[in-house]
Amino acid sequence: MATYGLREISKSYGGLRVLDDFSLDFPAGKVTAVLGPSGCGKTTLLHILSGLLSADAGERAGFEGARFSCVFQEPRLVPSFSALRNVELVLRAELPREARRERALRFLSAVGLREARALKPAQLSGGMRQRTALARAFAYPADLLLMDEPFQSVDLRTRIGLMDAFLELQAEDPRTVVFVTHEVREALYLGDTVVVLSDKPARILERREVGLPRERRRYGSPDLSEAEAALYRLILGEPATPPGTAGTTRTAGAGGG
Amino acid sequence: MRKSPGSGSSGGTRPAVFASLGALAVLGIWAAAAHFVDSEIVLPSPLRVARSAAVLFPTAKFLLALQATFLRGLASFGISMAAGIAVGLACGLSSPLAYAMAPALTITRATPVLAVILLALIWFPSGTVPIFAAVLMAFPVVVGDVRQGVRSADPKLLEMSRLFQLRRRDRLRSIYAPAMAPHLASAAHGALGLCWKVVVAGEVLSQPARALGTGMNRARIELETAEVFAWTLAGILLCALTDLAFKLIRRRRGGDVRPS
Repeated sequence: MATYGLREISKSYGGLRVLDDFSLDFPAGKVTAVLGPSGCGKTTLLHILSGLLSADAGERAGFEGARFSCVFQEPRLVPSFSALRNVELVLRAELPREARRERALRFLSAVGLREARALKPAQLSGGMRQRTALARAFAYPADLLLMDEPFQSVDLRTRIGLMDAFLELQAEDPRTVVFVTHEVREALYLGDTVVVLSDKPARILERREVGLPRERRRYGSPDLSEAEAALYRLILGEPATPPGTAGTTRTAGAGGG
Repeated sequence: MRKSPGSGSSGGTRPAVFASLGALAVLGIWAAAAHFVDSEIVLPSPLRVARSAAVLFPTAKFLLALQATFLRGLASFGISMAAGIAVGLACGLSSPLAYAMAPALTITRATPVLAVILLALIWFPSGTVPIFAAVLMAFPVVVGDVRQGVRSADPKLLEMSRLFQLRRRDRLRSIYAPAMAPHLASAAHGALGLCWKVVVAGEVLSQPARALGTGMNRARIELETAEVFAWTLAGILLCALTDLAFKLIRRRRGGDVRPS
């Protein structure tokens, strides 16, 4: 698997600079959680990664011929299609009818929606809709999976269920994932690496490898409190924590941009 | 659940009663006016028109005329829908094309129907004039509605489709078609009504051998006003029956039609 990266990317909207000389690598087969305040440019970063948006300057490295899938903030399902047809839709250009049905069913089953496959989005709960979107994202044979705060619209229990479903799919079929969020706990639970961004223009305040095994990163785990506190301090601009704080390993200094 | 005032009964009995009362009121006013005018040439009574229709409707002349007008209406509706969907879709997907088409569509929409018919009389054989005029009148309506439908497609779904690299035809089927459906139904409904009216008007002026409009005009020349009303009644029935058929099809397919 290739490593993907952004090199010295800049992007402005009108006079407002959102990304300035921004560089970041995304290790293959790993989840890079990009953590930052609302409006700091996380979604712009995803749009530039996917090619939906052009950067004003800089380079996307390793993306030639890369294919993307995405789990958005909202499920973005076709309202008139069943859950199954929604997953099948993104496979139409990829597979013949039988094969795509089989693949769509496999991924719907993996997120626990086999029985609900015939239901339309309006008949599904919010969590089920987002599970369908998750199944669609993994069913599509993408090189990069982009996740744009996909768990924000559901309650905590559903959110944890969705994150567990994501981790199961990721374990079974590892993808290079870029996961943007403003939730510290989500970033620590899902990310192999956590990248903390500053407010606009987004700079990398810190990049940490999350060393703790996943079962010790679950919501409510006492092992996370120190790592969590360190990230909160970074976001709030309070004095930096010493390197190698429990649970995480610092790999890039502040202002690495 | 409490009914809101004026919502009517769900069984449809009250709307039918009120519609019947409305129709009776129209007939009453008509009969009173005919009695007051007291001239069959100026305004025949409803009873006189009914007698004239009873004589006219079973004749071969009438049935052939009805068939020809029906086919012309159907042809003009089909052509305006097909061309309107194609152009409306293209305009919805391409803003430069929409801007380029705007003057032509505005001129067509603003041109009086009689001017179109008179020009068509110069250019086409009599049987084709009503079809051409109806297509020219209905086409901009369809284009406008279809374009609006395309524009109403959910931008978030379109972004999703670009990211997952959906093929153009899959994008059309899954995102644009559902967005267009209600607008298309409205376009079809409007175009259908317009086609009947313009086709009959075109027939009155172009006088094809077999046509409701020709029969209507001939009866006018012979001062058979009751027969003019009978031919008109046939046109109204044709329009109402196709409108009803359209609504039934829409209801069966689960859509709704805006009240006309």
